[in-house]
Amino acid sequence: MRITAEEKNATRRRILDAAVELFRTHGFDATTTRDIARAAEIATGTLFNYFDTKEAIIGQLASESFGKARLAFAKQELQAGLDEELFALVVAELRQLKLLRKFITPLLETVLCPLASARRPGMDHSLRVEHLELVVGIAKRHGITEISPVSIQMYWSIYIGVLAFWAEDQSPKQEDTLALLDQSLRMFAAWLLNSAGESQ
Amino acid sequence: MALNVSELLTALPQETDEITTPVVTGVPALLSRASYQPVPVGRIRRLTALGTLQAKIAAAYLFHWLRGWFKSSDDNQRLLAETHWRTALRVLDSMTYLRGAVMKIGQTLANFPDIAPVAFVDTLERLHFDAPPMHWSLLREMVHNELEDDPESRFASFDKQAFAAASLGQVHRARLFSGDEVAVKIQYPGIARSIEADFRNLFLFLLPARLSKDWDSTKDQFDDLRRRLELETDYELEAANLQKARALFHAADGIVVPRVFTQFSTGRILTMERLEGVHITQFMARNPSQEERNNIAKKIVRAWYRLMYSGRMLYVDFHPGNFLICDDGRLGVLDFGFIVPLDDTEWEWFRKIDRPLTTGLREDRLPILKAWSDIGDDETERLRLNDEYAEWSWLSRYRGGEFDFSNEAEFRRGINLFTEMVRRRYSRARPNTPTIARGQFAWWSILFQLKAKVDVRSIAEEEIKATGWDRSEYTPREVQEVQ
Repeated sequence: MRITAEEKNATRRRILDAAVELFRTHGFDATTTRDIARAAEIATGTLFNYFDTKEAIIGQLASESFGKARLAFAKQELQAGLDEELFALVVAELRQLKLLRKFITPLLETVLCPLASARRPGMDHSLRVEHLELVVGIAKRHGITEISPVSIQMYWSIYIGVLAFWAEDQSPKQEDTLALLDQSLRMFAAWLLNSAGESQ
Repeated sequence: MALNVSELLTALPQETDEITTPVVTGVPALLSRASYQPVPVGRIRRLTALGTLQAKIAAAYLFHWLRGWFKSSDDNQRLLAETHWRTALRVLDSMTYLRGAVMKIGQTLANFPDIAPVAFVDTLERLHFDAPPMHWSLLREMVHNELEDDPESRFASFDKQAFAAASLGQVHRARLFSGDEVAVKIQYPGIARSIEADFRNLFLFLLPARLSKDWDSTKDQFDDLRRRLELETDYELEAANLQKARALFHAADGIVVPRVFTQFSTGRILTMERLEGVHITQFMARNPSQEERNNIAKKIVRAWYRLMYSGRMLYVDFHPGNFLICDDGRLGVLDFGFIVPLDDTEWEWFRKIDRPLTTGLREDRLPILKAWSDIGDDETERLRLNDEYAEWSWLSRYRGGEFDFSNEAEFRRGINLFTEMVRRRYSRARPNTPTIARGQFAWWSILFQLKAKVDVRSIAEEEIKATGWDRSEYTPREVQEVQ
């Protein structure tokens, strides 16, 4: 029997929805692909036609959230400083990732981690690339035409650090993450602008 | 002014054993640390994170200065300490995340110009008024977190620029969909819990004072101040204070406390009616007449006594920015974050001191001062200074008639007395004494700034009478004695 694209999409959606629910209820580590398949009412083998691993499921969920966040960010009218614009980008992502907060760590260890993608050359690192392209675009709007690989790496360290902190943030409404993000980006933006000034 | 860090390091005193984290150098190291560390709300982290080097220097200088304060009154040492302070405060100025407690301490010390060096007070004033603002994106996120929607959706309009800096956040103009013009006070994220850490740090700096006999009392006073600052971060409590205070005033008083919009307020956001008017400094710049100045001063005095006697709330946050002379002539009393509630225990003390301190007679004052400050019979000098200070504090009240607050020498006498008490380490007193003293100085300071002439006693008596408190058994006698 031939499966239509529409049916494929519906199955894919069911897997993702079932996975979110199970991750939220039982946690990422305690949830197996078998559990997800059962909740999505498909055979375990069928699940692997769609996703190789649990991490890939999380990656897909995150990718959707990042997509929504970037749309929301693009709609914002910002006439702001470099640090503020970077802040707006990251908080737009955090808002969309909120449902995934508790189990975002695997994402940090895989598709968002440069070391992991270096170990596994085939790994999809589009999430990282897309985010960094936006960062480069923001920097250009603020007069920084060239960003060195070192600067990119510094930014990424901050970004991943903030996400890791956020995943475990016990403060009310994760307000400490906002403070950490604000202070980190102020520091990074000041350094970047200062470096750009020196090199000119 | 740029700091010469190596010079400062060379000049550092060596008493900073508690802060031994190595200085982080170089941007890569700094970045990698900062990106994985939590927001600096922990005690040592707050001293060692983003501003590691600056914090270490500032802490060391603060330590040094406080040591000088508590251990010696030698002029040379004091001068040296002042130099240290100037350096330290320039550095502290850059530490935006220490905004909370540092600024509140600053406001307190700024009321004692002879105790805190001028440069120190100047720097703290800048900290108060020029605190780095939260940018719009951060603010927007705070509103979203607290009010569950973006400011653009929750409010009909919302100014992106703050119109006032608050010690723990900032204030924005906005309009509700109902048409009400409001002021929205928003707290910097994480600042509430950071205050506790700030105080543990400052407590550490006070360790040398353990040698003093007054240590336990100082510790209690410090704890009292810490508790009050922590309460000040709770905007829900401030909203409750505002609502209670607002109900105490009527149209005829010409005094107004802003209305709170509770559905737009949380523990971190406070939305209040926005009053239009000018602050005292702007009012004075218009060169108002003596009568106009007296009228404002009378309202300030009445507001203070009304809050105290009818509301049992001691208003101690007499920052000039907390009073607004409205366009319609009313006095707006704005900030109710720093209130001493007079519970039954406190009220009993206030009831007990009322008569002895309002007769103007030394023999009446001494027994109550001994009780208040736990002064022994053999501590004659301590008692003398406490008495002179109490006499000064209650002067305008017990003397009656129009009191001229423009008398600089009289104001200075009070400062000198307090300074002398601090220099002699006479800090033993009931825990809330520093807070009350802060209120007294600031109260006098505002009336001095207004160069006002006010009959304080008659206003106080009217306010007491309105509460139904029967003082008939002693009032006539003391009035005769004083006259």
